[in-house]
This record gives sequence, structure tokens and C-alpha cells, in this order.
Amino acid sequence: MDEKRAGWFLLVTLVAQLALLGLQVPGAGGKGTYLGVLGLRVIGPFARGITGASRTIGDSTENLRLQRRLVEENRRLRRDLEELRLRLLQFENIRGEAARLAAALRYAPPPIGNLRAADVVYLDFSSWLTTLVIYAGGRPVQVDQVVLAPNGLVGRVVEIAAPYAKVQLLTDRSASVGALIVRTRRQGVLRGAGSGTLDLEYIPVQADVRPGDRVLTAGIDGIFPRGIPIGTVVSVKERGQLFHEVRVAPAVDLGTLDQVYLLDWKPVPKDLEESRADDRP
Amino acid sequence: MTALKYLAALGAALLLHLIGARLHPDLPQAIDWFLPVLVLLALSGSSFAGIAGGIAAGLLQDGLTGGLYGLHGFADTLVGYATARLAQRLVIQRAVGVFAIASFASALQQVILIALSLFLLPQASVPEPFWVVVRALSTGLVGMLIYSGSDRFRKAAESHRKQRLSRLRMDAPS
Repeated sequence: MDEKRAGWFLLVTLVAQLALLGLQVPGAGGKGTYLGVLGLRVIGPFARGITGASRTIGDSTENLRLQRRLVEENRRLRRDLEELRLRLLQFENIRGEAARLAAALRYAPPPIGNLRAADVVYLDFSSWLTTLVIYAGGRPVQVDQVVLAPNGLVGRVVEIAAPYAKVQLLTDRSASVGALIVRTRRQGVLRGAGSGTLDLEYIPVQADVRPGDRVLTAGIDGIFPRGIPIGTVVSVKERGQLFHEVRVAPAVDLGTLDQVYLLDWKPVPKDLEESRADDRP
Repeated sequence: MTALKYLAALGAALLLHLIGARLHPDLPQAIDWFLPVLVLLALSGSSFAGIAGGIAAGLLQDGLTGGLYGLHGFADTLVGYATARLAQRLVIQRAVGVFAIASFASALQQVILIALSLFLLPQASVPEPFWVVVRALSTGLVGMLIYSGSDRFRKAAESHRKQRLSRLRMDAPS
């Protein structure tokens, strides 16, 4: 009798969980569910505690080890800073020039967003179901908000349980982004290939693409702004008669991430959002 | 294993999982700390415990992974129930038996996860076979070690209790 009841219990729980999974499928890249948010809220503080503790331990041992090198490094960094300041002055000059030229041509460039730092509290980029959980602090985070690292694009926010947020990594198989090859301006769609690499798709066989070509975001998907470094082409093969098979190595080394940047940038105006809701990558 | 003990064990598994992820990026896919806990609960033979334990462990794991929320919940519910049913039919008293059951449970969990992902997600990815095998073996090993450790602890506690009882009997006035 007990086993019969257990069988019914199993059936009910499995059906309920399947229904929960089914409800998520249309929005797999979207807002997340109440349970998902709850899970993130429970696990977020745990992960943050562990990360904080290991960072403190790691930092103190690192400090002891590197104490002798700090003075030299500080000197070198000051030199770099001076150099970068000079380059910044040059860029300011060029920016002013570009703005004047744009004004003469009546060209309206897209607005550049603000960056703010967020701590990585949990990162699993090697499993087949990759995850990045960040702690964004008090300021609100939005679904689809772009996540960057100093070297380039990391991904986008898919689930929020304030102050924590789950990020879909660029290398995730269900992630995709409009991309362009810098040298030729050829556009394609970049997809996560699993195992830490990316595939640049829809590059016709006639297109000129070589290993070493740099790839940036194209700004055509309504989520990622144009010009963020994504990675470098590592191999090009002909696949079928229409398109190249282009493999791209990400610009960001996910293994070294301990802080990311959230881009406060709204690429698509609110009144156009509904029309793109079903076309999210 | 009572519910409270089980929840504490899940908490410890979560802690080990998070520490492992900080230590080495491959550890989360190499070792599943949650499944041995579930297997040891289900080995008690109660189907209800297996199902409830599976839901708890799975949903906790889902919070740590990408993809759809509930994939692990579903898989672990089935694994918990299957393990409990297996334990009702087999007498498992050796650590090697626990190793075999835990490895089987891990393999079953991964097959269910892959099948569900392929069925539900258009761009589903599957783990490399190497990692499936490594995960199954490591789950078996962790399960076996916990079982042996707890068995040894139980026996030591039992002998300590017996010694105390016999000492009390000797001290008692006749």
C-alpha cells in the first residue's frame, strides 16, 4: 500500500516538475522563474561567503608572497599610468575631431553606457550547464544587461534575485550574439560551442576570413552594443558549399574572472521592445 | 537519516561544491557532492524519502547550474526513487555495493539530464563522455567513503556504549 502511495507521489512530483520545466522553455533565455529566483536567492549568500573567505585567505597569502615585488610593480604601474594618460589625451583629441566630423555629416552615434563593477560569487564555466552568479550590490540589475570584463564580452544577465544575478556566459550553447570581423567588417552570428569556444556562423565561403582576425559585437541583435571585443578567429574550415566553419577563441579568460562590469545601456527604445521579444538570441 | 540530518548533509555538500569551484574550474563537473548524500538517504529503502530527498537535492543543484531550473530536480527525484526501490530488493552491507549503486545513480542522473535537455532545449549541449565516466566514478567513491566512515563511526560509538554499560554494571552494588 505504501509503495502504491509512493508511486503516486512520484508521478505527481514528476508531472509538476515537468510542467515547471515546460513553462520555462519559451523563455529559456528570458526572465527566469519564481523558483529559479528563489534558488538563486538561497545559494547567492552561500556562494558570496565562500568567495569572500577564499579571497581573503588568497589575498593575505598573496600579499605576503608578493611584498618584495610590490614596490617595483608600483613603479611600473605609475609609468604605465603616465603613458595611458598621454594616450587618453590623444584619444580625447581624436574623439573631438570625430564628433566634429559627425556633426558635419549629421551622424548620430549610439550613446555609450556607464560601467559598474560587480563581484563574481560563483563561476562554473567548464561544466556543460555553465553558470556565472554575480553580486551587484544595491543598484538594480536588469534582464539582458550586458556583462563585460576588461578584455571583452562575458555575457548577459538572464535571472535576477537582487542583489544577485545569474549571467548567461557567451560560451553557453544557448547564447548567441551578432558579431563582425574587424578586418573585413563581415557580419555573422556568434554562438557558444560549449567547451569554452565560440562558432561564428553564416560567414559565406566567398568571405575573406583568416585565423588571427579580431571579432567584435556588431550591435545588430538589440542586446549587445557595437564594438565590444569578443575574441579572435583560431580556425577556418569550409563546411558544405555555403558557409565557412569559423572557430573563435573568446577574448576573456573566464578562469581568471573575479570581477565583471555591468553596462548600463539601453540599446532598443521601450516602444520597440515588444516587437523584438520573440527574437532574442 | 532524519530530515534535519539530510538537510545538514546537503548544506555540507553545497559548501564542498562551492569550495571545489574556487579551487579548480573542473571540479564541479568532476565531482557531484549532492548525489552521494541522496543515495545514502535512499539506501534506507524508503521511497518517500528517496523522492523528497531527490527534489531537495535537485532543486538545490539547479540553483548552481545554468539551463532550465528543475532539470536536476526532475532527474534526482527519479534517481532517489530508483535507488530506494533498488535498496528494497538488494541487501547492501559492503562499501563496494554502495560504490556500485552511487556510480549507477550518477550515470542514471546524467542520462536523464541529457535526455531532458535534448528534449526541451533547441540548442542543448551534452557533456563529454569522459566527464560522465569521471563523475560516475567519483560519485561512487565519495558515496563509498562516506558510507565506510559513518559505518566505522557507528561501530566505534556502539563499542564505546557497550564498554560504558559493562563498566556501569560492574560498578553497581550487587
